[in-house]
This record gives sequence, C-alpha cells and structure tokens, in this order.
Amino acid sequence: MSETITAILEGVLDRLQFQATTYLPSLIAAFIVIALALGISVATRRILYRIFKGATIDRLMRRSGVAHILDPSGRLRATTIVAEIAYWSILALGILAGLSVFGTDLTAQLIQTFVLLIPRLVIAAVIVLAGAWLSHYLARCTLVWAFGEQLPHPRRLAAAVRVMVFFVATVVASDHLDFARNVFLTAFVILLGGLVLAVSLALGIGASSRVRGYLKDPPKRPTTQEERSLWTHL
Amino acid sequence: MFSTLSVEAERATTDIKSADIVIGIPSFNNAKTIGHVVKACYAGLFKYFPQMSSVVINSDGGSTDGTREAVLTASVDEKSLMVLSTPLFPIHRLSVPYHGIPGKGSAFRTIFEMARRLGARACAVVDADLRSITPEWIDLLLRPILLANYEFVAPYYHRHKYDGTITNSIVYPLTRMLYGSQVRQPIGGDFGVSARVIDCYLRKDVWETDVARFGIDIWMTTVAIAEGFRTCQSFLGAKLHDAKDPASDLRAMLQQVVGSIFELMDTYEPTWSRRSESVTVPVFGFCFDVGLEPIAVDVDGMLREFQRGARELGEVWSLALTPTTFQEIKKVAGASEIAGEFHLSDSLWARIVLEFSVAYKAHPLLRGQLLGSLTPLYLGRVASFVYETRMMTSREVEDRIESLCVTFESLKPYLAQLWRGRGESKDTHLEVKNV
Repeated sequence: MSETITAILEGVLDRLQFQATTYLPSLIAAFIVIALALGISVATRRILYRIFKGATIDRLMRRSGVAHILDPSGRLRATTIVAEIAYWSILALGILAGLSVFGTDLTAQLIQTFVLLIPRLVIAAVIVLAGAWLSHYLARCTLVWAFGEQLPHPRRLAAAVRVMVFFVATVVASDHLDFARNVFLTAFVILLGGLVLAVSLALGIGASSRVRGYLKDPPKRPTTQEERSLWTHL
Repeated sequence: MFSTLSVEAERATTDIKSADIVIGIPSFNNAKTIGHVVKACYAGLFKYFPQMSSVVINSDGGSTDGTREAVLTASVDEKSLMVLSTPLFPIHRLSVPYHGIPGKGSAFRTIFEMARRLGARACAVVDADLRSITPEWIDLLLRPILLANYEFVAPYYHRHKYDGTITNSIVYPLTRMLYGSQVRQPIGGDFGVSARVIDCYLRKDVWETDVARFGIDIWMTTVAIAEGFRTCQSFLGAKLHDAKDPASDLRAMLQQVVGSIFELMDTYEPTWSRRSESVTVPVFGFCFDVGLEPIAVDVDGMLREFQRGARELGEVWSLALTPTTFQEIKKVAGASEIAGEFHLSDSLWARIVLEFSVAYKAHPLLRGQLLGSLTPLYLGRVASFVYETRMMTSREVEDRIESLCVTFESLKPYLAQLWRGRGESKDTHLEVKNV
C-alpha cells in the first residue's frame, strides 16, 4: 500500500519536475521578455515626451481638424498620441515575443493571427478616423448651409449627416476587417431605406401642398427694396 | 506673353497708342445709369484736364440690357460746360468685354492692363451705378496724383448713419488698426491710382481669387497702404447709387470682403505687426453737408438672425472663438430676448472679428465654414449699433465709430498674442484689456 502511494507521489513529483523543467524556463523567459518590453516602452514614451515637441504635428492636426475630432476641448497633443502609440505598440510586440517563447501551436497561431490582423486593423482605424473627420466636416458644412438657407433645424440636419457619414465609414471598416459584415451592411441598408421612406412619406403626406405650391409658384427674386438693402452694407 | 485682354481691348489699345489719363467703369447690366456716369467722366476730363489725352474705358461683364450701347452713345453738350480752354486731344471712349471670373475685380484687371499699355500717368475707377457722380469727382480723384504726387486716392463720402455697415463695423476699424492708416472708406468703390500702383497691382497673382469679386476694393486699398504708396482721400459728397446687384447676397458679400481682409492679414503680417498707431490721411476737396437718402433697417430681423445663429451655430463659432468670448456671446444672445436690452459691446465685437481672423489663418480647411457662420454675428452687431444710435445725429454716430476704432486699436496686442500663439489661445487664457 505504502509502496503504491510512494509510486504515485513519485510519479506526481516526476511530472511536476518535468513540467517545471520544461515550462518554467520558458515562462521565466517570457516574463523577462515582457518585462523588458515594458521597460523599453515606458522609456520610449518618456523619451518621446521629452524630446519630441510635436509643434508641427500639433499644428497639422489642428489645421486639419483631426485634433478637434479626437478631443473637442483642444487639450490633446500630438506628442501624447505618438508617445502612447509607441508605448502600446512596443508592449504588444513584447507580449507577442513573450508568448512565442513557449513555441506551442496555440501561441504560434495566436501570434500569426495577430500579426496578420495588424495591417488590417491599422487600415480600419484610418478609415474610421477619416470617416469621423469627414462626418464632422460635412456636418458643419450642412449646418452653415442650412442656416444660411433658412432651413428649419439646421443642427438636426447636421447631426443626421454626421451619423450617416460616420456609419458609412464604420460599415467600410467592418467590411475591411471581415467583422460582422452582414450585420453592418444589413443595418446600413435598413437605415438608408428607412430614411428614404421617411422622407417620401413626409413629403407625400406632410408637405405635398407646399411642394405643389412651390412648383406652381416658385419664390420670386428679392424685391427692389430687399436688393437695395444689400448695398447698404458695403 | 499671355494677354488677359480680349481681342477688342487689344485692338483698341493698339489703335489709341497712348493716353495720360484712363477712367475705368466696370459694369454689368447698368444701362439705366451708366450713361450718366460716362457723361460725368467726359465732362470732368473736358473741364479739368483739357491738356491731357484721355480714355474712358467701360469694362463689361456681358450685359444684356444695352449697357455697352449706352456707354458709346452717351453725349455731353460741350457748350453747356462753359469751359475756358479747348481740349487739345479728343477724349476716347471704349466699351470692351473682360475675361476671367465674373466680377468687379476682373473688370478692373482689364482696365489696369489697358492703362498700363497706354502708358497712363493716372487712372480713376468709378462704379457704373452711380447717380450722384459729378464732373468734380474726376478732378478730385485724379488731381492729387497728377499734381501732388499722391499715388492712391480713396473716396470720402457723407453717408447715412446706417449705410455701409460692413465698412463701419469691420473694414474701417480693422484696416485702421492693422495698417495704421485712417482711410475712412476703404471699400468705397471709386479710386484714383498712379501708374506705379497699377504696375504693383498687375504683378500680384490674385486675380482668380475672391479679389476678382467683391474683394477688389479692400484689396486695392490694403495693397496701396501696406506697400507704402502715398495715400490721400478726396471728399466726393454723397454716394447715391442704383439699387441692384443680381449676383450676390449678404452672405457672399461678407464672405468675399472679410475673406479678402483675412487673406491680406496673412500676406502683410510683417507690415501690420510693426505698426502700432494710426495716422490721419489728408482729405482733399471742399467738405459740405449733403442731404442723404433715409435707409430702412429691419433691426428686429437682424436680431432674430443673431439669436438663431446663437442657437444653431455654436459648433462652428466654438472653433474660432476663445471660451471667454463664446460664453459672452451666449450671454448677450440670452439677454437679447428682453426687448431693448440687447447690446453687443465694442470690445466683444472687436474680439469676435480678431479671433475669427486668427481662426481663418489657423484652419485653412475650415475657412468657408468660419466665414459662413460670421453673418449672424455681424447682423447682431449691426442690430446693437442701430439700437444704440437710433437717436443720434450723423456726427454723433461718427464719434461712435471712432470709439469702436479705438477699441480695435487697443486690442492689437491681443491680436498679436493670438496670432503668435497660432490658435492656441483656447488653452492659454489670454488676458483681455478692459476697454
């Protein structure tokens, strides 16, 4: 009986020893790699904060309106963005390198998937960012135009444009990532179809008399008195 | 060399060969009034410059109402002018179409190009819709150049207190603050220029921009002042003109004028940043009081437009304005609900204009949106001005405009600070002097 127990315990110890000798060095190595990556990323972030003033990029971001999209309060700086991107990129690479130490099929597959996904993620992020910029830009154009044309609710119109453009960008990005492609496309088609239907119904039911009146008697050019008032401004 | 002149203009220039004086009249469908303008120019040349060769050039934008025919058929009874000396040279008269973007600026370009080719010593330009022009205008616009070595003559008119509100609330105070020259009507429309100034204008590559439209007047004045040409003003009496401009509205007009000023601020930054005070500009001519046509102003409509802007356009305004200024506008818009209590102060208005100019520089991609959103603010300022000056005489109103100019001038360091900060004012909480 005692011999059996001893044999089992020895077997357990052997297995533990085997697993420890097999995986512990890899684990330690992985920790070292990750710790190193963490150290490098922290150091890089600090260096970037110190040496990279970011004046030119800040100006470019402000002029293009990207800064306003990322942070409407205007406090966000290009230096912060660059430093944080560098920090997280190095850290992610370190974690991947750390995982690769184990050399298993699972980690290899994980790394491969991640590496292959990076360019697509970057492109998708660019698409979303460009979409966000364009949505803000077109929304403001709509706002100013609708205001100038005396249309009712310019802000709502601008918001609708903003949502639509950003949604289109999201659909494109998700399509690029192959992520819930059908869900987004279907939602987009439903939204667009719904919008067209709503406008048609609104025109047909609510504004048919106004449209008829407009077609029958289009608005006339300003009268002489109104035209005259323009001149008094200069 | 590439010519900007039409074939007709080229041929006419070749035929006439040379002229001492050129008078330019830009036009578009001004058949009703241009005959009178041509007669006044003709009489002015006949009466005041009989020893000089001269040409009256109408640069037309494709009128369909017989404007060009009216120019060529307008006649003056020379006997009625009772001149003492007989002119030595005939006064030529031309009507030519211009090339380029439709607008007053393109018309001027043709006139200046022809004046240069003809070797003119002086050139005057007058609007085609003037009803109050007299032969004396020609003398007053040209004589300072021909006899007193001035190179740019700006007009000086008596105007109704509500006439020329863009001039009074933006163009004059801003030009005076920036370039230190008290030219009262920088966008008056009737100017006299020397050959050197014409050369300078034609060298600039601006003729495909807003300068070719409403921006031409402020561009001409600013270039002349900023480039150091000797400048004076001539008192022309009242400016009464025909009431029509088929291709424009207030928004477009404001955008083109203000956009041109902001564009010029960038170009001439080294010049304006060095000038700290403004100086008076000599006025020629005999000043007299004139009867002015009353102007009806829909002040409630303006106020409504301002309130609507405050409700709707905050998103765009916040791009241009500092948080302090933006909050003040909201406060003013809130107070405007109470009838008669609406007041947009000089200091706030000056800061709005200056902060927009900085934003215009800082956000090149958003310029259209920024300028497009300025109209309700401008209307708010005009409404406030009208409320404030309702019971004032013209002279008192002129004092109010002077006070606005002083406010603008006192804020020049603020502008310089914003400008240097390249739009980072939102974080730096700049100090605004109490004015």
